[in-house]
Amino acid sequence: MASDAARADKARDADKARDIEIALLACASGDKSALKRIYDAESPRMVGVAQRLLKRRALAEEAVQDAFILIWRHAARFDPQRGGGLTWIYAILRNRSLSILRDEKRTETSDRPIAEETASEEDDPETVMSKLSDAKALHGCLEMLPPQRRSIVLLAFVQGLTHGEIAGRLRMPIGTVKSWIRRSLMSLKECLG
Amino acid sequence: MSQPPDRSSTPDDRDALAGEYVMGLIEGAERAAFERRLEEDHDLARVVERWRVHLAPIDATAPLIPPSPTLWPRIEAGIIAVAQSAQARVEPALRQGQAAGRQIEAAAGRQVGTAARQMETAGGRFADWWNSLFVWRGAALAGALAAIVLAVGLVGALDRAKRQPVLVAVLLTEASVAAAVVNTFADGRVEMVPLQNIHVPEGKALEIWTLWDRAVGPRSVGLIDRARSTPLRLDQLPLGRDQLFEITIENATGSPTGRPTGPIVAKGTTSQAL
Repeated sequence: MASDAARADKARDADKARDIEIALLACASGDKSALKRIYDAESPRMVGVAQRLLKRRALAEEAVQDAFILIWRHAARFDPQRGGGLTWIYAILRNRSLSILRDEKRTETSDRPIAEETASEEDDPETVMSKLSDAKALHGCLEMLPPQRRSIVLLAFVQGLTHGEIAGRLRMPIGTVKSWIRRSLMSLKECLG
Repeated sequence: MSQPPDRSSTPDDRDALAGEYVMGLIEGAERAAFERRLEEDHDLARVVERWRVHLAPIDATAPLIPPSPTLWPRIEAGIIAVAQSAQARVEPALRQGQAAGRQIEAAAGRQVGTAARQMETAGGRFADWWNSLFVWRGAALAGALAAIVLAVGLVGALDRAKRQPVLVAVLLTEASVAAAVVNTFADGRVEMVPLQNIHVPEGKALEIWTLWDRAVGPRSVGLIDRARSTPLRLDQLPLGRDQLFEITIENATGSPTGRPTGPIVAKGTTSQAL
């Protein structure tokens, strides 16, 4: 039965989440090998997430580097009562990546602005959707959105596009983009509970 | 600075705003205001955490890209730099905090003494050097009066109505000598004015940083080759009272990590000008 496999997956995810939380507590007490454990377990995925946002490999690695220094520095502030270790780490990574992204866009002088850099097929909303099939709840709830709205939500999250950039890319008024995203979030919330 | 509109009057509004925040769609001043609220509003923090959990599977679809072999050594170097600066700075800062405390406690209340005691209790742990912010804040208090006097002196010759700074920070050296002033103006301009010559080694530069939230960390707002008056670019960064500014010595092209790495020349926090 598929449910056995699903149960095994869930158990593995729970173990992984617990390992990260234990490692974070060890980091808070100054154990550098614990940070290395997190790095070994998560850095390839983290580079992948940062790369989707920042497009450039060097910037992606810079974001991951900053994220690990922040994780180390703020490990004592991690509170398992308030949230999971993995979400905490990825929130730091995403914040850092988005800051770098906005800074680069503001200051860059290169001929090839990041915003115009083409995303790889990996970052395409439909590809992301197809890879989401493991996450049944989110996949199902995204399926319920009209395709264009679903794409907008995924573009914003995966590639870090702003309201304005989405509007520009889809040639839509920014107000429409804002209200579509808002309504999509409300449907997702209702659907995911 | 204009206050961002409060778009969180109903639970639905709040949930949508939290979702937009997690998606990275809230920017600039609104984002900073949201993050400040997040620190105090536990319900809001729970809603944000729920969105993060809901959307985490999307991050899990990212391709696995093995980092280059130099990435971990770079992280390690960054951590060692943090630890060294903690050791090098917390001890003198603690002593200085206590000394400053004795000097100004009578005049300026008991904040520095309290800060120094906080430092003592934290002494055994891995010393996060930003903890010394509390001490510096106290030390800066000693300069607060001087700040106002200086600010008035500096702007005296200028068009007072337009150029009166709103917030002023006096940046003190480790020996509590005023090395520079940061003035912020109502129209959003921010400038740094040095008050003494600062020795800059060959191939190095002065980098100016601001810190408003320890979770975000310090952000670079200026890079100058030698001590001279310079506008600081805060752009979308938040700006308020008790915000830290500091000058460090960095490579001529700026800190390689985007974080302060070199020795601190001076630092201080903003106070409201009268």
